[in-house]
Amino acid sequence: MSQITQTALQNLDESSRKDILQFIESENSKSKVQMSIHNFTDMCFKKCNDNVPITSNMLAPHEEKCLTNCLNRFLDTNIKVVSALQAQK
Amino acid sequence: MALFGSSSAASSAAVPTSAEQIKKQLKEQISLELAVANATELVNKITQNCFDKCIQEPQDQITSQQSTCTSQCLEKYMRSWNVISKAYIARIQQEKQ
Repeated sequence: MSQITQTALQNLDESSRKDILQFIESENSKSKVQMSIHNFTDMCFKKCNDNVPITSNMLAPHEEKCLTNCLNRFLDTNIKVVSALQAQK
Repeated sequence: MALFGSSSAASSAAVPTSAEQIKKQLKEQISLELAVANATELVNKITQNCFDKCIQEPQDQITSQQSTCTSQCLEKYMRSWNVISKAYIARIQQEKQ
């Protein structure tokens, strides 16, 4: 891939700069969501497969349920903690 | 949401000149780097989880049982990723209302 030169960047017009900034912001929030999904998957995969050996590449219905419950109860906990701390202020 | 993002073919053109070209190239580079970061994170998480799960006692070589476990674990992890992704995005949308 060819490099973008410093001068070429400096010569970018105002609207192009805005456009790029907006693009970075939206990619950034997309990336944050993806990183959260990585952490949640890591946590819930561990929780739902605790002490059970892997015997299939498929997810059984109860395993899928375990994953979604794990995620939703984690988020419930997060909301509860935040509102409890807010109430203390 | 696509797991690896959408990566368009890298333009091998000469040094970009017009603002439009520079913009396009910048966006491609940003998307590509984020897609690589996302894929790297997935590889690391799968390796950690499946190593813990499948290689209880490391041997001289990986056994066929460990190898089967690893490939099943890999697929299962990716399916789990998709389930969590769907559920999380549904939850975000639900909370917004």
